Amino acid sequence: MLQFSASFGRLLLELKKLPGVGEKTALRLAFHLLKSPGNIEALANSLISVAKNVHLCSVCFGITEDDPCVICSGGRDDSVICVVEESQDMLAIERSHAFRGKYHVLQGALSPLSGITPSQLRIAELLERLRHSQTREVILATNFSVEGEATALYLAKILKDLGLKVTRLAHGIPLGSDIEYVDAATVQRAVEGRSEF
Amino acid sequence: MEIGNCRGVVLNLADYRESDRLVTLFTLEHGRISGIARGARRSVKRFGGALELFALLNLQVKFRNALSELLEADIVTIHSGIRSDLNRIAHAAYASDLIATFSPEGLANQRLFRLLTAYLAHLDAGLATVSDRRFFEINLLNIIGYRPELDQCSRCGSLLGEGAERAGRIFGGEVVCRRCGISCREISAETLELLSRSLKTGRFGLLSFSSATLDEAGALLDNAIESHLEKPLRSLAFLRELGDNQIASLPS
Repeated sequence: MLQFSASFGRLLLELKKLPGVGEKTALRLAFHLLKSPGNIEALANSLISVAKNVHLCSVCFGITEDDPCVICSGGRDDSVICVVEESQDMLAIERSHAFRGKYHVLQGALSPLSGITPSQLRIAELLERLRHSQTREVILATNFSVEGEATALYLAKILKDLGLKVTRLAHGIPLGSDIEYVDAATVQRAVEGRSEF
Repeated sequence: MEIGNCRGVVLNLADYRESDRLVTLFTLEHGRISGIARGARRSVKRFGGALELFALLNLQVKFRNALSELLEADIVTIHSGIRSDLNRIAHAAYASDLIATFSPEGLANQRLFRLLTAYLAHLDAGLATVSDRRFFEINLLNIIGYRPELDQCSRCGSLLGEGAERAGRIFGGEVVCRRCGISCREISAETLELLSRSLKTGRFGLLSFSSATLDEAGALLDNAIESHLEKPLRSLAFLRELGDNQIASLPS
């Protein structure tokens, strides 16, 4: 394709860098964009706008255009901070409308096998933030993978030493599911973490 | 393409494409294999919570030369005890990293499989100790053929002595006699005896190294392992950054 149009070839190369996009998908997307020039301009403008304007909030390290972000500067509950691994985890909790406190995004999780250590996460910034805030409770909302558990265990130890109430998201059988179809590991964790009815 | 069943431990996981996972396993029947678990990130129907680090699984695999395909995975144990303690997670990751590094692809090694599963079971049941880590390391080096000689000088071949007289020096990852390693660090008879007994004792937790013997055994084993590595182990760097003492105090 490069021999027909250098620009088209460059577009294909850029599209193929996106996650989940291979040769065929890139070609399909590129032809789709070619057929609708208006969409190309809008897409290009939005990409440039994101690159220029979106950055990390200096308080919570979630993605934002304003600094501090809407959540950090708004009238949210200061006494509870929910710690998540990535910005998309924060968005997932926000979608639930179940939480009215503030967030802190670690920008990753501890990983012994990938060599990601505490100093590579936004843990120092969290501790600094907690020292200067009225926070009474920290909710550990890291993933329930080994890496997420390791991060939660590490933070729990440090935060309890600061005299804070530390809680962890509940986990177990998904809402609306039949127990007979739930995998053994999830059932085991649900039984271990059962609560009084 | 042959479809077969096997038992294996998850050594490593990586995201692949939009919804797949690349899984590195150490299996009883086929040694280390890499497999793709299609749709594992998008759906929990097929693999459930089985594809987790350190999980011991019964697997159905479509074997291929380069990259096998995982068809089914049933949990034997996910080692929930390990997951409840950062110290144990760090030690289990280090053990997995060592096995992934030193085991050749597709070559079964039942002794190595038994060593790994016994160590994970031991970590799952109780706290991780540095003694157990050294016990694992010397047995691993023994099974894969990289064990330092403990009875005679690896340079001149002379015997290191008997009983309390059995002493040598640490030269890199080897034990040499006092004459061959004049300026090297000493390794005591007690440490050499504990390492020898580690090879004869078939169970974790029966031997306990003192602080001094741990120090000497650590100097020897760390050098012996590093001398066979092409690049440093990330899991070891993790273990060192957190510090054995610091993470040992974390909640269990």
